[in-house]
Amino acid sequence: MEKQGILVYLESVDGHPIKVSLEALNAARQLAAQTDKKVAVVLVGDDSAAAIAASYGADEVLTVAADGYQADAYTAILAALYERYDVSCLLLGSTRDGKELAARVAARTGAGCISDAMSLTSDGTWIRSIYGGSLQETVSAGEKTVVTVRSGTFGKPEQDTSRTAPITAESVDNAELKAVIKEAVKELSESVNLEDAEVIVAGGRGMGSAENFQMVYELAQLLGGVVGASRPAIEDGWVPRNHQVGQSGKIVAPKLYIACGISGAMQHVSGMSGSGYIVAINKDEDAPIFDVADVGIVGNVMDILPLMIEEVKARKS
Amino acid sequence: MELLVCIKQVPDDSVTVTLDANGAPKLGDITPVVNAFDTYALEMAARFKEAHGGSVTVLTIGDESVVPSLRSCLAVGADHACMLTDAVESDTQGTAHLLAKASQKAGEQPFDVIFCGSESTDDSAGQVGAQLAEELGLPVITNVLALEPINGGISAKQETEEGYRIVEAPCPCVVTIVKPDYEPRYPSIKSKMAARKMPIASLTVADVEADASKFGPDAAKVRRVSISAPAQRQGGVKIQEKEAAVAVSRAIEMMAGQKLI
Repeated sequence: MEKQGILVYLESVDGHPIKVSLEALNAARQLAAQTDKKVAVVLVGDDSAAAIAASYGADEVLTVAADGYQADAYTAILAALYERYDVSCLLLGSTRDGKELAARVAARTGAGCISDAMSLTSDGTWIRSIYGGSLQETVSAGEKTVVTVRSGTFGKPEQDTSRTAPITAESVDNAELKAVIKEAVKELSESVNLEDAEVIVAGGRGMGSAENFQMVYELAQLLGGVVGASRPAIEDGWVPRNHQVGQSGKIVAPKLYIACGISGAMQHVSGMSGSGYIVAINKDEDAPIFDVADVGIVGNVMDILPLMIEEVKARKS
Repeated sequence: MELLVCIKQVPDDSVTVTLDANGAPKLGDITPVVNAFDTYALEMAARFKEAHGGSVTVLTIGDESVVPSLRSCLAVGADHACMLTDAVESDTQGTAHLLAKASQKAGEQPFDVIFCGSESTDDSAGQVGAQLAEELGLPVITNVLALEPINGGISAKQETEEGYRIVEAPCPCVVTIVKPDYEPRYPSIKSKMAARKMPIASLTVADVEADASKFGPDAAKVRRVSISAPAQRQGGVKIQEKEAAVAVSRAIEMMAGQKLI
């Protein structure tokens, strides 16, 4: 890898890079175009995504051997590469692990750390959301940075399967594990692709119960859409947390967004206000969700949704 | 075990923040509260102490204006409170340095577990807890949902993208806390009265021997260039009908008119 280059940590699951990691690669390519630098991708542990990384625009792929994910080991690896190549910017997807690694690598290397970047300006500064999405700040971290990229903001880079990249195996001394991951349990089986959905039907506290929430699933299915949710519905356990839209969830921009029993807290609205057309159902006529809705239905979601499901069914047949 | 909880006072996150005439965030009218994630951290620490013994100290950075937040923590499970009074605005790494230094002077005995909220609701950077651990050279477990003592350390349930992990670390260590499956307790009149009379220790940057080159605006690696309000979306039609069926038909027509269904 060239000195002062750009490095992307690609997080993979079963040999496939996760989407937000590819978004980080896209952000890296934008930065590379501005600064005339090259983009290296680092794969830790599992190097089977090397060809995919190249197809998405990595100029070079670094691989580092590791026995399964341990935050202490991965922090040491990324910090070592950061220093070895005097990296100018390390980018990671804003997953829970990505954010921890970013903060720790920045602390070790003295780089500035920018969390949840949403876009890159032409000046090379980054825009991120603060105060629950009420405001946006533009931040700069100078010549040495670590940036995490928020899910649903940069999009995947264009793929070209004819593109290849040289692969270099890097060796990094084993780090002492202070905290040890003993066991990992997978609870969420389905992967939820809210970012690419054309239709999202989302439910909030107003749905009232897990049973009622099934109507959100039914309407989403009828419209060929994906189920979204606001934080209260997640916290009450009606829907798994990988469906969350907004702050600490995904940023989405479908053609059609139907918000059912969602009041419209800023933390939710900031994640969905880029949608093409917003339909909101809420019994409170003053609910802030109506301020962003193209069509707002004031009414009890328990009365409205069953009728809407029937109408959509009737139109389809 | 001796437990420390680092808290941050933030503007009530249910209120939308706007910009004033000078383009700065208008925060004066918004009630200051303890960051929600820190309240989860305090509740978890209080439950840990109640189950296994020890004490809970809360620590924050700020002037007199943060005293009510510390008192509210004393009313819901904290035994001691401590503030670092004269620190200037810092970035996450500066804050981590100040907290690291203050954590070494905030208790009579060294702390076994240092709790932080996983992020704050104002800046939402989610960096300070992990960087505090790096400053102190301690193990860190992020995004913790639950924890229990094991021989010489703790075992924690860590939230992940796909589920959870079990992570073990020796004490002393740092943990960052996400929303567990319970709510923080409410204060009682009695606990509020008691909290009012409890002492709040105050420390200065000099007391904790913080390194002036590591915090404050000049040391900040991340700098805010500008701040703006996101583009506002305009509301459209609001349908209010006595008959739900009529309302639904109207909405469906509008969606169909846009070729969305």
